[in-house]
Amino acid sequence: MINIFLIVLIKIFAVVLIMLWVTIGVSIVYRRRRTKNLLLIEKTFAEVISKHLYPYPGEELSLVEIQRIFRNVGIIPSKPRNVQYLIDLMIRTQRSLLGENYEKLVVLFNQIPPYGASVSKLKSTKWYVKARGIREIYEMDQTRYVKEVIKERNNRNIYVRREAQIAMVIFLGWESLRFLSYLKREMTLWQQIKIVEKLHDLYPEPNLQYLRRAYESEKTYANELIMRIIRKFNLITEVDYILQFVDNRNFDTRESAIYCISSFYLSNSQLKLLKEKYFKVPNVSQQIQLLKYIDKISFDKDLEFYKKLLYTADDIIKLSTAEILWNNGYKEEVQEFYYQQYTNQSLKVEDSL
Amino acid sequence: MKKALVIQEDIIILNILERLVTLNHYECRAIRSLNDLNIEDQQVNFDIIISDILFDGISPLDFVFQIQEIILHKSLIIVTNMGQLNVRLEVLASKNVDGFFAVPLNMNLIEKLIA
Repeated sequence: MINIFLIVLIKIFAVVLIMLWVTIGVSIVYRRRRTKNLLLIEKTFAEVISKHLYPYPGEELSLVEIQRIFRNVGIIPSKPRNVQYLIDLMIRTQRSLLGENYEKLVVLFNQIPPYGASVSKLKSTKWYVKARGIREIYEMDQTRYVKEVIKERNNRNIYVRREAQIAMVIFLGWESLRFLSYLKREMTLWQQIKIVEKLHDLYPEPNLQYLRRAYESEKTYANELIMRIIRKFNLITEVDYILQFVDNRNFDTRESAIYCISSFYLSNSQLKLLKEKYFKVPNVSQQIQLLKYIDKISFDKDLEFYKKLLYTADDIIKLSTAEILWNNGYKEEVQEFYYQQYTNQSLKVEDSL
Repeated sequence: MKKALVIQEDIIILNILERLVTLNHYECRAIRSLNDLNIEDQQVNFDIIISDILFDGISPLDFVFQIQEIILHKSLIIVTNMGQLNVRLEVLASKNVDGFFAVPLNMNLIEKLIA
């Protein structure tokens, strides 16, 4: 009885083992063929692109020929993974070229078949497919789909709307700021930074007209984004905008305002305003940041301002103020403050002795 | 005929450069890494080498020195993905490098340099 049981067990075990080997074998063969196939696509693509950009005399490829070559290596709608690989190659190539060649590629990619793949991704219900489609459209600079992309700017999924907003900046540049007041959802810090960077890379010439129109927006993310733009483009004339947020109620807005204003020098009247606002900032560490900044940019030290701080503010701020005064040669003021602090206590000490 | 050597790991850039160089009347040898170099290549005095600097197992600067040591050439142009400022400065400071292009790049500039 036990023998039979053991034999059955061994049989089952052997079957499982053989199945495992077969799977491994199949997977090895599949992967080898797949890699070979992808390499072939890459090589063909490289040949086609180089021929298209720099044809030898009498060797120009027509569109039909290009399409036929791609079809022969397996770029057909029924093999979406091959198509995706080709799109990745296109993006990679377009990213590494500038000038005339770039223009030529934009035109070419508009005309060869797999391109429709990116737009059809926008119709997908899966967010990652959608986001990828949008990214492909803007990476390949396919301007004719701007409308479809902009529609996604308020998408429920953060990644989809993030890509759509980046696409807007890439396609519309400074004009895209006019959408700022109409965005329905929050914009993360990361997203703001990315937009500022893209704007700076692609549209280095600031357009104040669109920027000023966006000033009216009351959303916090919009304010923060505009402040970051002012800082990045070093728009000295627009510093007043940042200044108004230094004592904002919202911690993050204040933080951005202090961060952004730190890269500017202020005029006397602006400095005066900042000192007035200083007392309304409700956070000690932010006040210290501001104090250091004020010290950095003011040439003549405003003794009155510092004295006011020395006698009324928080202990840590007092310490920083004293440090600034001491380093700027106002030793007597610091000493005076020090002694008045201890007059009563020192008397007490003497009493107890 | 003038002779050129192109070394690029990225096959797309390699092919484009190969054609660009050939169209400018060079005899072009295009390889994907230094390992593909054969003995005959090492005896040729190339008029121009267009190379990447990012390869497995060797630092960019060492690679530049290695090229200068093992291949005879008149001028060396770098075309690479690695365009950070410190790398650029380091490589340009090593002398004997006639151009440094980081992607994204405009091929017309290279064309002007080699024409």
